[in-house]
Amino acid sequence: MAVHVHAPGTRERPTAGPRRARPPRLTTRRRDAATAAVLVGPNVVLYAVFVVIPALAGLVLAFYDWDLVDTPTFVGLENFQAMLHDSTVAHSLLVTLEFLALGVVPTIAVGFLLAVLVNARLRGVAVVRVLYFIPLVVSAAVSSVLWAWLYQPQTGMFNEVLSIVGAKPIAWLSDTTWALPALTLMIIWMSLPLVIILYLAALQRVPEDLIEAAKLDGAGAWLRVRQIIWPTVSGTTVLVFALEILNFIALPFEIALIMTQGGPIDSTTTLSLYIYREAFDQGKVGYGSALSIPQFLVIVLVALAARYVPRVFVGRRGSAA
Amino acid sequence: MSGQQLAVERRPVAVRRAAVLSTARALVILRWVVIAAVGAAMGFPLFYLFSSSLMNAHDVSAYPPHLLPPSIDWSNFARAFDYLTGRTIVNTFVYSIGVLLIQLVIVLPAGFALAKIPFRAAPVILAFLIIPMFLPTNVVLVPLYVVTHQLGLIGGYAGMIIPVVGRTAFGTLLFRQFFVSLPTGLVEAARLDGAGWLRTLWSIATPLARPAIAAYASITFLNAWNDYIWPLVSAPDDAHRVMSVALAPLAGGQLSTIPPNVGLAAAVISTVPVLVAFLLAQRWYVRGIVGTGVDY
Repeated sequence: MAVHVHAPGTRERPTAGPRRARPPRLTTRRRDAATAAVLVGPNVVLYAVFVVIPALAGLVLAFYDWDLVDTPTFVGLENFQAMLHDSTVAHSLLVTLEFLALGVVPTIAVGFLLAVLVNARLRGVAVVRVLYFIPLVVSAAVSSVLWAWLYQPQTGMFNEVLSIVGAKPIAWLSDTTWALPALTLMIIWMSLPLVIILYLAALQRVPEDLIEAAKLDGAGAWLRVRQIIWPTVSGTTVLVFALEILNFIALPFEIALIMTQGGPIDSTTTLSLYIYREAFDQGKVGYGSALSIPQFLVIVLVALAARYVPRVFVGRRGSAA
Repeated sequence: MSGQQLAVERRPVAVRRAAVLSTARALVILRWVVIAAVGAAMGFPLFYLFSSSLMNAHDVSAYPPHLLPPSIDWSNFARAFDYLTGRTIVNTFVYSIGVLLIQLVIVLPAGFALAKIPFRAAPVILAFLIIPMFLPTNVVLVPLYVVTHQLGLIGGYAGMIIPVVGRTAFGTLLFRQFFVSLPTGLVEAARLDGAGWLRTLWSIATPLARPAIAAYASITFLNAWNDYIWPLVSAPDDAHRVMSVALAPLAGGQLSTIPPNVGLAAAVISTVPVLVAFLLAQRWYVRGIVGTGVDY
């Protein structure tokens, strides 16, 4: 239909002479599509090659035995069978969950409270607030060098604080009990700024008259935070929850690789780190890819949980509004 | 106004109000003190990094530890520079700025097209970008390495930079978001004046997008500068080493091969450029994160 309507226009164009007629609609649309393809094309191609294809290739490689050099051999489900007999898999999955359990909720809770704390229009607060964002500029590598120094068993700051309190020194990073909590504490420090920034933005949306009304009704600070502020920012909590889960899967891998190499005795070996070792140190690319599948499933499960858990955890009881 | 009337009528209220005011004032001061104290705790590790990097070999390992250097030893920085090598420092800039500029050229026009040019594939492409946004790099690290390896890119700048550039979702969505909120009238006016899409993009949209570019640039630069795993895996040789890769061995209990004060000075050298960049661009960085809700 459109073709019929616009066909005369297309035919007329050559006779229009020097005075340029507005190009007919169909051509415009085609030209739009062509321009859009030029503008979006390189983006989509690179994205496909370096994000989509690897994600799919991982699924395929899981069925192969390959060391990156020889021809890959199809081994069917062998990698998955091997996984079941590999005790490090279950152990490293457990370590992954330990990092999540110790890290995610404290980061969100502390980040939220600090955001409420610094969300004040007081003189000089804007300057001090920068201190709360400082860990953003500290890379994983620098942070590792720095915290390894703080955790240093003989002269480190942490053991100095312990000795002031009168406690015995701890061999933080070389103690199977303490290495994981020590890394978690450091990762919480690294992760707080993002949480604080997101909550600070959310806090701008808390209606001020509601707070004032609650104050007049005699609601104390804690009640206002619990009953008004926390429910209002629940959307941000869901986002932050999802982000921190991904964060507490990604960072422990990187940090443990740098600081403890997964030790002592695999106590900080997460599944990602085990995958990395198998693939890059042992040259088992197929097995590494197969291991990525449970890792991926954990993330999917956690992403699904993230849709439901915060509803429980955010809570809406006694809605103040 | 009504307060004045009340005060005239019933003095006790005014007295009570004064008491309330001074309590409020005390609370404000208390809050300020808490904010400053917690801020100091957050900033302490970085402060201690700078402080230790200036101590001499004896003071840095003293027990109990010194908070401030008793005497300042600048030679740590000369030795840290020798350890890092100029090449590694230059590589870090090449990598971060390379990722930033190449991705910007790909991501800004795409964001513009997705927001302003009507074409049928747009919603499909958007969905395609959003779906795996939550896939952390380390999950696809092995297959990403395989793909890059098959393309023959491992061991050079291209292999370090291009796969990272390929993670276009964040930038594309940020620019699309910005251009969606840009009044269509501005773009249409240019179009009616006979400007093509490319011209509109170049001379109207891009200059207006400066805030979005600033937000995108500060976040991307910071992330790239701090990258460790991918530069390590894709180009492990000394010629392409970035500072993160050079620093990491110092944290693994091998501080003994390099004295701690020198290692900490090297960490300072790698932090100062991003610290300065962040202090200058803080506003844009925060806006970029808040605008998209995500930074990776």
